[in-house]
Amino acid sequence: MSRFSIGGLIDRDKTLTFTFDGVTMQGHPGDMLASALLANDRHFVARSLKYHRPRGIMSAGLEEPSALVTVTDAFGSMPNLKVTEVPLRDGMQVSSQNAHPSLERDRAAVFGLGSKMLSAGFYYKTFKWPKTGWAKTYAPLIRRAAGHGGIDPEPDRALYDKRRMACDVLVVGSGAAGLSAALIAAQSGATTVLLEQDHALGGALLGSMEQIEGMSAVDWVQDARAALSQLSNVTLKTRTLAFGQYDHCLIQAVEAPDEMTTKAILWKIRARRIILASGAIERPVVFAGNDRPGVMLASAVRLYIRRFSVGLGKCAVVAVSDVEERNDTVAALNEAGTKVVAVLDSDVQLVKTKGRHHLKMVIWRDSKGRRHRTPCDLLAMSNGWSPTAHLFAHMGHSLRFDVRTHSLLPSDSDGPLYPVGGARGVRDLVGCLQDGKAVAHHVMAELEMHKHLNLPRAMPTPAPTKRFQSATQTGFVDLQNDVTRADIAQAQAEGYDDVELTKRYTTLGMGTDQGKTSWTNGILEIAAFGNQTAGNVGHTTYRPPYSPVSIGALVGAEVDTEMIPIHRTPFHTDFARLGCVFQTSGHWLYSRYFPQADETMTEAVTRECKAVRQSLGCVDMSTLGKIDVQGPDALTFLSRMYCNAFAKLPIGRVRYALMLREDGYVFDDGTIARLAKDHFLITATTANAASVWRYMQKCAQIDWPDLDVTLTSVRDHWASLAIAGPNARDLLAALDPDFDIGRDAFPFAAVRQGHLGALPVRVFSVSFSGELSFEINTPAGFATALFDRVLDAGAKWNIVPYGLETLDILRIEKGHISVGTEIDGRRTPHDLGLDQLVSSQKHYVGRAMLERPNLKAQGRAHFVGLRSEDGHSPIPPAAHLCEAGMDSQGMAQTCGYLTAAVHSPTLDQPIALGFLDNGHARMGETLWAHSPVAGKSVRVRVGPVCAYDPRGDRLHA
Amino acid sequence: MLLIPCPYCGLRDESEFVYGGPARALPDMDAQTPEAQHSLYRPINPRGPLRELWYHSGGCECWITLTRNTITHEFEDDLS
Repeated sequence: MSRFSIGGLIDRDKTLTFTFDGVTMQGHPGDMLASALLANDRHFVARSLKYHRPRGIMSAGLEEPSALVTVTDAFGSMPNLKVTEVPLRDGMQVSSQNAHPSLERDRAAVFGLGSKMLSAGFYYKTFKWPKTGWAKTYAPLIRRAAGHGGIDPEPDRALYDKRRMACDVLVVGSGAAGLSAALIAAQSGATTVLLEQDHALGGALLGSMEQIEGMSAVDWVQDARAALSQLSNVTLKTRTLAFGQYDHCLIQAVEAPDEMTTKAILWKIRARRIILASGAIERPVVFAGNDRPGVMLASAVRLYIRRFSVGLGKCAVVAVSDVEERNDTVAALNEAGTKVVAVLDSDVQLVKTKGRHHLKMVIWRDSKGRRHRTPCDLLAMSNGWSPTAHLFAHMGHSLRFDVRTHSLLPSDSDGPLYPVGGARGVRDLVGCLQDGKAVAHHVMAELEMHKHLNLPRAMPTPAPTKRFQSATQTGFVDLQNDVTRADIAQAQAEGYDDVELTKRYTTLGMGTDQGKTSWTNGILEIAAFGNQTAGNVGHTTYRPPYSPVSIGALVGAEVDTEMIPIHRTPFHTDFARLGCVFQTSGHWLYSRYFPQADETMTEAVTRECKAVRQSLGCVDMSTLGKIDVQGPDALTFLSRMYCNAFAKLPIGRVRYALMLREDGYVFDDGTIARLAKDHFLITATTANAASVWRYMQKCAQIDWPDLDVTLTSVRDHWASLAIAGPNARDLLAALDPDFDIGRDAFPFAAVRQGHLGALPVRVFSVSFSGELSFEINTPAGFATALFDRVLDAGAKWNIVPYGLETLDILRIEKGHISVGTEIDGRRTPHDLGLDQLVSSQKHYVGRAMLERPNLKAQGRAHFVGLRSEDGHSPIPPAAHLCEAGMDSQGMAQTCGYLTAAVHSPTLDQPIALGFLDNGHARMGETLWAHSPVAGKSVRVRVGPVCAYDPRGDRLHA
Repeated sequence: MLLIPCPYCGLRDESEFVYGGPARALPDMDAQTPEAQHSLYRPINPRGPLRELWYHSGGCECWITLTRNTITHEFEDDLS
């Protein structure tokens, strides 16, 4: 154990037990997984992506490139977690990734030997032949060898949630700059939200021995926390990562709550001002062997020692370019009792490291060129800092390379997001405190919440003029993707010299860390190779998320039945009682068929069809869109909306109507009923109910505001049950209507309002089934009463309720068009054989575009009916229509395709509908219906779309 | 996600709206000119202020016309 007996921010009174690759280990509350592993002397925790090199824990934050593991807990397993981002929990099972059979004896480690062979562009150049080789041989091989952890195949059992918040000032990060800004904003009365990704506030202060206001940095953080916690206008969230900035001051953050009932909460926070105090990330030195376990960033070394009270080695080499930081690192190592065997300044050249699974020796060359071999088990390194201004850059602002600080810096911001402190290159504690304070005051003045004090802002801290230089080409720039200096040089040499191209060609900066430790080094390498300044190289686009966010968090609770609300019709419970089988249809849960005893679906549907054709059936029509249109200009309005003529539609009558889109194609079909002179009720198809409603409103509100018309969607107000069959009129009579329902008094295509017994109703004599049919509408609350009465009274004619399957077969027998199959956004009224509906006497939406030559051309695909030539061979659904049989290669020239194919119970033969080139002129022709999917070909004969009762006599019975 | 100034409901999240495309003068319903066809198939897409339609489906169900700067996404409409 390398845990000291005192010090650090851990609770030694409690012990947490976890396993790493099956070995039981112990840690304490306050530990991250990383610190707990290190305390158990476990540095070597991973194998690298490409070369399978041993990797350790290099950093102490989200920038960690190497130490990725799979964590299994009660909810399942989660791959690719950085050990530096996971707080230790009792019972956690941690396993290493990308190593078989074990980390120490990884078979694929042999790749590390041939690293020249696997250089940038290797895949593109190597696996080109033979043509089939990639899919069958290379890809599976490479996928097995490369990559990270595997996804848990079980469904995620954890809960997730999404929440929203609004505030005046949002502070991201709780280091010196963030806390001082939050204190000012909060104490000035602004509603303030402070987000910290870590489970403890303080950021870099937790590894600092400096004093603030006469107390230790850690005590100052506790003080600030206490002060903020007392204020009711402050929301303080730890373990909450702000991962993206979006339009209009929206920050998205993901919280991992402490209690384990919910795994993650996605926060959408709308702030008036954002203060970005996300600090900076230390930059590794690029040299051969800089990836070995035991090589760590200097800031991480200090943090593990001081915050987690963990010793990292027995003897250390310190290679830090900044003098103050170098001294502080030596001091920290002394506190830990680690012998510092060499302190290197940036005059020296780091040559390489040695050691099999852990660092054993650092080889370096002094300024006089003398070679030194220093045995050690820890190297604390740093070559400068990179500000974390990602959220600033998310809105499309680019960062510029600043020569003084030797880093990519955000430009001066004029809001609403202000980078402060480390995020804009301020390195010193006093500067960060001052910067946070100054910006907070500025923001409060902007929000007019107190007067403008105009405090001076801190200046970005200049970087040391000398840095460690790389000696060889084999140093790793990007540890996560095994990208070396040589790879970047190769990309430049081969012409992939733009940053974006270099990134894609070498994978520099990709992966779960998105190059947090590697990008600046990469830009410097590109610049050096091309003899240009780093400022000219630019950078790749920064996009959210800053660090990986689980898909579960993005989805939230919207899974299974919570994804979209289920719409149930007013008859749902009545149908369920009868054993109805339901299916989803759009947002609706709609009746599909009503099996009796142990009937199959086909048996049930055949019985339902026959009942409707021979006697009586009833079906739910409540899902149709219903729009009430009233006003002096209602007729004019509808006349412009629909392409058919109905100016003379008498009160009490109904007309089938076709609506076109502006481009002349058919949009929707439905009925228009005239209830009074200035009062209409129109229906829209179930599928288009919402879009027709939206479009009508647009026309009324935006296009023709001069028309005096009022639209009301009344779909949910009515329960609608159609009774259909030869006995429908008798049933209607048996329901005790208070209006005349005689054949002449209530003809086809009419509407009557009145009562059936006590039930208030509107009855429409319209038909989708082709039978005599009445659609009875009653206020939705009376649905059960209506249904019970219809079933009771209908029992005399053996009424059967039917569902979507039967509805569809009946309409196919009649050749009625349906949205999604025939109305597919590419059909003119002429294509569908509905010419006679189109008025030439009036203006309507789509008329002008309908006149375009191509829409009037001869030979377009027309809507036709089909039957199998022999009268009994089933027609395969979705088949293609061809003039010839398939050739030896299974090919044939198509001239159309099927939209529907069923066995008609009424005609007892297979029938189909489809689109056929120039179909109207090809009645009686015989064609092939080929279905390569079903492996069937059937001879079919072209005929009219309506296969049953073409004259429509049955409607008028 | 945009914050859209609905003249009836105030500042609301974009998720409550359906985009209605650039606002355009409706061509005469009989117009078969190339201009009329262009207005349908070649929507204006300027860099800068653009008058456009939004449908507040999750709110007042009104179609509103707003001016949005396509570079900055700022709305130039004032709610007051």
